[in-house]
Amino acid sequence: MGNKSNSAISRREFARRAALASAAASLAPTELLSSKSIPAPLPAQQPANAPKLSPESQAEVESRIQAIFAQYGNRLSEAQKTDIRRLATEAQPPLDRLRAFATDNGDGPGLYLKPLIERERKPLAMPATPKPAATPKSS
Amino acid sequence: MPGEEIFHLSVSELAKRIEAKKLSPVELTQIYLDRSQKLGPRFNAYAHLTPEIALEQAKAAEKEIQRGHYRGPLHGIPYAAKDLLAVKGLPTTWGAKPYADQVFDYNATVIDHLHGVGAVMVGKASMIELAGGMGYRFASASLQREAKNPWDTTCWTCGSSSGSGAIVAAGLAAFAIGTETWGSIICPSAFCGVSGLRPTYGRVSRYGAMALAPSMDKIGPMARSAEDCARIFAAIAGHDPKDRGTVPIDKGAFTYSPSIELHSRPLRVGWLTNAWKTLAPGVAKPIEAANRTLKKYFSSVKNVALPVGPWEEAGNIIVAVESAASFRSLIRSGRVSELTDPLGQIAGYVNEQYAGADYLQALKVREIIQKKMDSLFDTFDVIATAAQPVPATPLTLNLETDLAFPDPLGGIGNICGLPAISVPCGFTDKNLPVGLQFVGRAGDDYAVIQAGRTFQLHTDWHKRHPKIH
Repeated sequence: MGNKSNSAISRREFARRAALASAAASLAPTELLSSKSIPAPLPAQQPANAPKLSPESQAEVESRIQAIFAQYGNRLSEAQKTDIRRLATEAQPPLDRLRAFATDNGDGPGLYLKPLIERERKPLAMPATPKPAATPKSS
Repeated sequence: MPGEEIFHLSVSELAKRIEAKKLSPVELTQIYLDRSQKLGPRFNAYAHLTPEIALEQAKAAEKEIQRGHYRGPLHGIPYAAKDLLAVKGLPTTWGAKPYADQVFDYNATVIDHLHGVGAVMVGKASMIELAGGMGYRFASASLQREAKNPWDTTCWTCGSSSGSGAIVAAGLAAFAIGTETWGSIICPSAFCGVSGLRPTYGRVSRYGAMALAPSMDKIGPMARSAEDCARIFAAIAGHDPKDRGTVPIDKGAFTYSPSIELHSRPLRVGWLTNAWKTLAPGVAKPIEAANRTLKKYFSSVKNVALPVGPWEEAGNIIVAVESAASFRSLIRSGRVSELTDPLGQIAGYVNEQYAGADYLQALKVREIIQKKMDSLFDTFDVIATAAQPVPATPLTLNLETDLAFPDPLGGIGNICGLPAISVPCGFTDKNLPVGLQFVGRAGDDYAVIQAGRTFQLHTDWHKRHPKIH
């Protein structure tokens, strides 16, 4: 079967792919990000083979977990919470690798987006005689 | 009772008989329906059959052909559509319990295109719930339960176009439509021993198809040969103003006829040296033989390595973020708990938490790898490797823990929207199919089709089919 390593990413479609997500500290509720509400990173219930994370990454994982539990905790079983903790932890190393990849300020994102362009809209009626510009255009 | 062989004829072979009026579309449809009713449940291949629609379309096709109005190679040919494509008035379940009663009042563009060329829809193919968009741990992650591989029913078909793979391999329809965001056409094609084409992103309209990751979702054919894939692709490709992700008119359409092969360019093949960390022994042998075949019949075959970088990581984030957005109401409402798979019930909560800045970093990385791959395709027309490093896996396997390996080519191919084809290239010692994959430059779908077609002109693996009684 497949070789699992620390850098291995689950292959089978989105089995783990969609699950190997990471949380955004910036999207978490503010109170959960404060040092008061988040104690030092807690490796609570960490599985034995959990990836080794830097303190910063571990804190981020914990904030992500707490954000999920704060929003959805009442609908999750203890087993699901444990699973979420594992998923959130496993998601961090790939996220750290992605962030570490050097990109320049000018590197454009590979968006697949075609903005609405004028010719696709209903053409505007042209005035018979264009009015002269009253004032010089400013940019 | 018709002979078994007719169920495994290619579209091209069936079309010849239909055009010559030696084969009745109504009779062909009826025998496929009978076979699908009998064998479909054995493989959990269908979400549901559509006999009324099928017979109505088959009768119309037959009438037209009798009158001399033959529309082309798909006229009167029975097919199945993955159950994430909207068909007016019919349930479209997306393979998931929360959508079990969902009915649309319009057709997906692909369905309309196939109707336009006279193809006959016999049913909706089963699939992994939400095409795996919420994650899944087991093959059973489907409203229609686990799809069983016709080559060995203790094994899986792979996902998420699971039913599409089973239907084509078992000869329940002449072809099927699948979709791929990451691996969902290539993997089932490899596991089921069929030919599957993942077109360039934007070449086939997704209008009326379930959105998973809109910047990566693609629709393509699964059939018995690369040539069949070309014919089906020609019918469904093209710009669609209803899908803003489709490429412009002049780049969208695809035409195919066997005569264009006379003018085909010699293909330069790059044999990938780092696509898979290891190949299972049963896969390695057929792949080595395939390499020898390529060296014999292609103009050049040279080793090449994929660029190294966090391409998979970028792909993972793009899929996670976009799928969380696509299924936000399902996640927020808590109905995600109705999904079958334990991972699918919770992964959306994690995916929802991504930062916008990380998503944009992933899109920047996408741009970088797009350029790198475009340069690579200045040297090679196609790159090739095993479609999967393992053969079909047991139905009960925990995919999350027991089937994890790096897949840089899948990551690169899908975040860059590159076309790919998987064609059968042999069997393991347990008689499970092995697939060979060709990947091409964005927009050069013809190169991967030509590569698959050339390989199949010199091999007969695609003509093998499982013995089904």
